[in-house]
Amino acid sequence: MIDRIALVAARELRAERRQPDGVVAAVTFIAVLVLLESLVVGPQIARDADVASALFWLALAFATILATMRSFDRELEDDALEGLVALPGGRDALFGGKVLSLAVVLVLVAAIGGLLSLVLLDLPVALPLHLLVVVLLGVVALPPIVVVDVVLALRLRARAALVPILALPVLVPQLVAATRGTSAALTGDALGALSWAGLLFAFAVVYTVVGLTIVPAAIE
Amino acid sequence: MIETTIPRGTPLPRIRPWLGIAAAASFVVASAMALFWAPTDAVQGDVYRILYVHVPLAWLAYLAFVVVLLASVAWLWTKRPFFDAVAVASAEIGVLFTGLFLVAGSIWAKPTWGVWWTWEPRLVTTAIMFVMYVGYLLLRGLSTDFSRRATRAAVFGIVAVIDVPIVHLSVLWANSLHQLPTVLRIAGSPALDTPMLVTLMVSLGAYTLVYAYFMSARVSLELARQGRLWTRT
Repeated sequence: MIDRIALVAARELRAERRQPDGVVAAVTFIAVLVLLESLVVGPQIARDADVASALFWLALAFATILATMRSFDRELEDDALEGLVALPGGRDALFGGKVLSLAVVLVLVAAIGGLLSLVLLDLPVALPLHLLVVVLLGVVALPPIVVVDVVLALRLRARAALVPILALPVLVPQLVAATRGTSAALTGDALGALSWAGLLFAFAVVYTVVGLTIVPAAIE
Repeated sequence: MIETTIPRGTPLPRIRPWLGIAAAASFVVASAMALFWAPTDAVQGDVYRILYVHVPLAWLAYLAFVVVLLASVAWLWTKRPFFDAVAVASAEIGVLFTGLFLVAGSIWAKPTWGVWWTWEPRLVTTAIMFVMYVGYLLLRGLSTDFSRRATRAAVFGIVAVIDVPIVHLSVLWANSLHQLPTVLRIAGSPALDTPMLVTLMVSLGAYTLVYAYFMSARVSLELARQGRLWTRT
């Protein structure tokens, strides 16, 4: 099973490298959102640790949706989904591989978006290692839910509107934990940052297991 | 072959009129007890009586979405359309009761907190739960193929139920303006006067009967609709 998941993830990343429109769209999107949100609320408010963290994670949640939808669009355009699903264990591998490859892509998107936020807003970082842990676990906690919702909305009309409606309410606990954890790391609250990071890890594990259990039934 | 009628032996149509009478009678008794028999609260006065509507609505919202979960698991397991009918019926009723739960809470909040709405964990998580199940109904509405629609909705019904414990426990996890649980408390017995507790229990029973009545009617309608769809195709 792990071999098949790794195989699908490697295939995804290869496709992303050859045709990086998903990564480019997600990075551009997060950059535009970070700039726009900071302009809208004003630099003084945007520099607040809570506000900066919230804006960053909201932007990353939307970027995750965008990257996931692009990834599945590529499958549909190439008629590759049917072949993949027909393979033994293909459905589990599809879910696991997509989650894994999206997490890798999101690390890149989060790194660029995060650096932009830190530089543009001139944010002081009290605990850089804690911040790294929170961001990495937050990035791992987002894809399972988004992949589930994109699979559910596959081939439906109004899919672009439906996926955020389905995904964002379910992502609220992850977004709250990631925002609070990031804010704690920025302001020097080590225990707070690690507690929220632990919660993010728990959400990542729970939703990955739930996804691996029930998503294969939803892939047709 | 897909079975679209009510499973043989299901007493749903026969008991529905009796369920309706029991629901209406118990609703009248519960309302009378809430308005005239339960004592006035020492702090909030008569305003607190909305508790006998607000708490049963919250209970029904939780119950409805847990039924969606169970019916969703049953559909994925057995592929019997009866369970999909139960899931959609319970989701629709759950959305209705969650909406009423929010409205009743808002009406209670104005005289006690001074505002119709505040960004407080219980209120926000409840509103999110409401939006989540509206999304569930939207997902169903956009799918045309019966089997795919039921499967997609079942998967989302399982994922979404995680918000139910979050709503209930949010008052314990975060600094909350909302009062802590008074009946299902982790430590100790219910923090309510006996007549108040009895009235609340009667109200919970009455509202549960109303839910059961709505469910029996909506499930029958859904099964009839499924039957028509299969006849056409």
